[in-house]
Parts: sequence; structure tokens; C-alpha cells
Amino acid sequence: MPLLSCRNVTKAFGSLMAVSDLSFDLAAGEVLGIGGPNGAGKTTLFEMISGQTRVTSGSVVLEGRDITRLSPVGRCHAGLARVFQLNTGFDSLTLRENVLVAAYYGRAPRRMPGFRIPSEVGDRVQEALCRVGLETRADRPAATLPVIDRKLLMIAGALAMSPKLLLLDEPVGGLTQREIDQVAEVVGRVAADGVTVVLIEHVMRFLVQLSSRVMILHHGKKLYEGDAAGLSRDRDVVEVYLGQGAGREVARLAAGREQGAQHAG
Amino acid sequence: MTAMRRDLLLCGLFAAAALAWPMVSGLRYSVTQTTFFFIWATVVVQWNLVFGISGIFSLAQVALFAIGAYVTAMLGYYLGTSMLLAMPAGAVVAVIASIALGLACLRLYGPYVALLTLCVSQVLYVLIVNDTDCFTHPPAGCMPLMGGVRGFSRFGDLGFRDWLGSGFYIGNYYVGLALLTAAILFSILIIHSPMGLAFRALRDNPVYAAARGVDRFRYQLWIFGLSAFFTGLAGAFYAVNTGVVGPVVFSFPHLLFLLSMIVVGGVGTVWGPVIGAVVLMVADELMRELGDFRDIGMGLILVGCVVLMPKGLSGLFQSLSARLAGPAASAAEKAK
Ligand SMILES: Nc1ncnc2c1ncn2[C@@H]1O[C@H](COP(=O)(O)OP(=O)(O)O)[C@@H](O)[C@H]1O
Ligand SMILES: [Mg+2]
Repeated sequence: MPLLSCRNVTKAFGSLMAVSDLSFDLAAGEVLGIGGPNGAGKTTLFEMISGQTRVTSGSVVLEGRDITRLSPVGRCHAGLARVFQLNTGFDSLTLRENVLVAAYYGRAPRRMPGFRIPSEVGDRVQEALCRVGLETRADRPAATLPVIDRKLLMIAGALAMSPKLLLLDEPVGGLTQREIDQVAEVVGRVAADGVTVVLIEHVMRFLVQLSSRVMILHHGKKLYEGDAAGLSRDRDVVEVYLGQGAGREVARLAAGREQGAQHAG
Repeated sequence: MTAMRRDLLLCGLFAAAALAWPMVSGLRYSVTQTTFFFIWATVVVQWNLVFGISGIFSLAQVALFAIGAYVTAMLGYYLGTSMLLAMPAGAVVAVIASIALGLACLRLYGPYVALLTLCVSQVLYVLIVNDTDCFTHPPAGCMPLMGGVRGFSRFGDLGFRDWLGSGFYIGNYYVGLALLTAAILFSILIIHSPMGLAFRALRDNPVYAAARGVDRFRYQLWIFGLSAFFTGLAGAFYAVNTGVVGPVVFSFPHLLFLLSMIVVGGVGTVWGPVIGAVVLMVADELMRELGDFRDIGMGLILVGCVVLMPKGLSGLFQSLSARLAGPAASAAEKAK
């Protein structure tokens, strides 16, 4: 049984089909990279999976359970954690409190919240902060953070929910090369720990390096689905999305990834 | 020291100082005015939980206060209920009314919550004032069910008159102090608990909070219900303390006076509303002689605070102490 299964999901904004009749499956432990031009419907797809937007038609199934009508909160508790494209956070809270919200409320419904934080929750917060390397700044207010740390803080929040499925929407958009490597390392370790990941990214280096499978969207439809090495051989993908130069670059990156895998194996 | 310990300590110091105040001041007038301060501060401390901590622009607090006062007065007047029972009953009815209002506001955001809650309290005001049908016929004439324009009086007290004679107001003072201390303790507990964390997360970013498992509907209902208890109890105590309950408790100027306390003191902090209540009550007292200019003076204070100190007096204290600590901290860095 796949961990996540999207069946014919469609989102129409008026006459605009942001996502149109899209189906795909995701097995546990996979890292699916999603690319595609701006406006292709990638973020809208995430919104439908994590529940911020209702599907126009189709269904979303997590571990065999239809979650299409579940609220965003319900989907959190079902094991889904999304990191937003925009830099989102609780600005008046400290980093620790930001992650604490997710650790305390994000795992299971709380009928009546208590007056104390259980030590097990505190441990999970600390662990999530360490996993992204923010533990030394835990008591600063989130509003003062630079962009890279905001992205890492969002990831820490998602990890504190101990998700089965992590959705990352452009986690390295607007970052420098070094910062991109920093995030790639964090995400790589999360995936190695067995968390299933779907990531949207324009930075092909990041996408190819981390993804076990790639899907390219265009006008709300699937343009390509397969391994990273096939991207540069697909004429549509090169024409619509990558361009000739980037196509060669992706081919080189994919080859590097294969070699890396062989070394590891 | 954690923030919670610091706030509990401050609360203890405040209560200790207030315990000694009647002995120090000795003036009946200043003691009774301080009792009113306890009542208004209780209301704004609870209002701050909704408005400041949770970021819900509810103006219902004055109506809840009035409900607590009216229920207490009506139970005493019509049924002769002891005030010791009528007061908590008033608080409980306020909680129920508040949860109902919270349900009505669930799908509303921002200014629409303010409009709906303001409407409810103004409609209650109009209903009470315009009701001229006699419900009973006391010797004085005609009594509408909700007291009409004149409201209720002689519905009972806490027994301090029999016990302390002319010093009864001292008894009321200590009840008021107990009320405010409990309200502040309650607010400290909420703000520093996981529930307070959920409220602050929802205020900062409701969509992100939902994506981290915080259910806005559930916690909005919790905060409406919880903040209503001490508000209703403050209304009940107001009834007992003044001995009169009339529609003026619903009035719009009254609402603005209380709202100003939160704005002047600082939204969303434990102590801001208390400081604001002190400042505005003292200012009101100092301008007592000015007649009509008093309202203008109040308006000027409010505008001045909003323009010069957007985070209120407590925000000003924080940035001042940060600035004072700043040079010291950087000097310590250099010394290393
Ligand atoms: N709330 C909305 N209302 C109307 N149109 C929208 C809305 N959200 C997205 N769209 C449109 O849907 C299309 C897909 O957007 P999006 O999913 O954000 O693309 P991507 O993330 O791939 O860049 C775009 O044309 C966008 O303008
Ligand atoms: Mg997008």
C-alpha cells in the first residue's frame, strides 16, 4: 500500500485549472522531487494534500485512509507536516516556543490542554532544534531571524510533529549556495532517518541530489515522472522547463548522483 | 528565573502592598476608589486574554460584566438569594453567554468580531432601557423585568454592614483585592501554559497554527469561556459593592474607558492592563474638576499613547530596560 496516493486531484480557480486530474503514488521512504515553471500548480497541489484548500474533485489518501475532507489540523494528526513556501512563523514567540507549538499540538488531538509541558515534549523540541542546528539560539524571538534560519525553523517545527510525510515547498528558494548545501544536508539526514519527503524546488542541484524520483508539472498536469537521469533526455522537460544549458547541467548532476549511490553501495 | 516565576513574584508583591494600603492611606475615599480599581483591573486583565493574548477583537467583555452584575442583582431582588450564591451564579451565566457568543463569532475574523460583539451589548442595553412593562409592583411603583432605566437596588450585600458597621467598605476592599489577585494569577497561569502558547500562535498566524495542529475553533471557545468567569464575577462584585445595577454598565463610554486601559497599558502582556487601569483611574481622578474637559483630556491621553507608545506603557518599560541592559551587556562582551 502506498503511503500517499493522489487520485485524479483537480483544483479549479474559476476557469483556471491550477491542478488538473493529477494522480500519483508515493511509497514510504521515497523522496519525491517536484519541479515545474512558476504557476504550474505545485503549491496548489500541496495545499490540497495538507488541507488548506479543498479539492475541486479527486481524492487524497494517506495510508489507505481517505483524508480529502479532513481539516488541516486533522491531517497533522494523521501524520502530515507541511513547510510553507513563504517564510512563515510565530513572530512573537521564541524559536523554542515555535517548535513547542508543533511538538505539543501537532501529534495528536488535545481535548483539554494542561498547565505543564510534559518532559517528553520538551525533549522532542530540543531534538528537533538540534537536527536543524538552531539549538544555540533557541531563546531568541523568531522575528529577528535571517531567512535561512527561518527556513530551518519551519523544518524543525515540522520535524517536531514526528511526521510520516514531510512536504517541503521551495525550502531553499532565495538562499546562497552554502546555505543550500546546509539545508540539503538537513533534509538528506531526515530522509535517511526514514521520513518520506515530497519537495518542491526550482534549484535543480538540490532537487536532483535529494530526490529518488522526480515529477515535473506544467499547467497543472504531469509533464514527466521518473528518475532524475531521465530529465535531460526528455525533450518536453528541456523545452518547457530546463532549457538546453540547464538540461546539460542536470544530466551532469544526475550522473554524479548515480556515482555517489554506487560509492555508497 | 522563568517569566512565570517573575510574574508570580510580582503578583505577590502587588497583593502584599495592596493588603497594607487601607492602613497606610486611612482615607475612606481612596479605599473605595481602589476597590473600583480592583473591579476594572479584573475586567481588563481578562479582556487582555482575549484581545491581547489571543488577538480576537471581541468587545463582549463589557456585556459579560453586565450579565454578571444583572444576574446577581436579579437573583437577590426577585428570589432573595444570598449574594454568596448569586455572585458565582452570575459568573457562570457570563461563561455560558460568552461561549454562545464565541460560537457565533467562530467563522468571523478581525473587525467583524468587534462589530458582532458590540452589537450584542448595545442590543442588550436598548432592550433593558426600552422595556417599560411592569413585571412586579414594588411600593415605589413599577419594576420592569430587567429593571428598566433605573435598574436594581437593595438586592443584598455581603454582610459587612452588620459585621463592620460604618467600616463595611474595608470588607469590600479586601474582597475586591482577592478578586483581582485571583484574576491576575489565573491570567499568569493561562499565558504561561500550553494553552497560552496556542492562543499566541493563533494570534501570530492562524493558518500556520492550524498546520501545526492548533485547532482555532476549539481554543477560541476555550478563551471565550475562560475569560468570562472572572469578568462575570467582577460584574457580580460590582453589583454588591455599589448596591445599584443599572444599564450604565452596558454603556459605550464605559466600554471605551476600559478598552483605553488595555491600550494605554500595553496589549498582550500580563501587567500592561493593570498598569493601564492604574494610570487611567488616576488621570480620571486628577481631571475630576475639569467637567466636560475631562472627556477631552481622556481622549488626548489615549491618542498620545497610541501615537507615542504603540506598545503601551509596558512596551515602553521593556524597551527602556533593554536599552539600559544593552550597554552593560556589550561592555561585558568586550571584557571577555
Ligand atoms: N487562491 C487562488 N485563487 C486564484 N488563483 C490561484 C490561487 N492560488 C493559485 N492560483 C493560480 O493557480 C496557478 C498555480 O499556482 P501555484 O500552485 O501557486 O503555482 P506554483 O507553486 O507551481 O508556482 C497560478 O496560475 C496561480 O495564479
Ligand atoms: Mg509555489
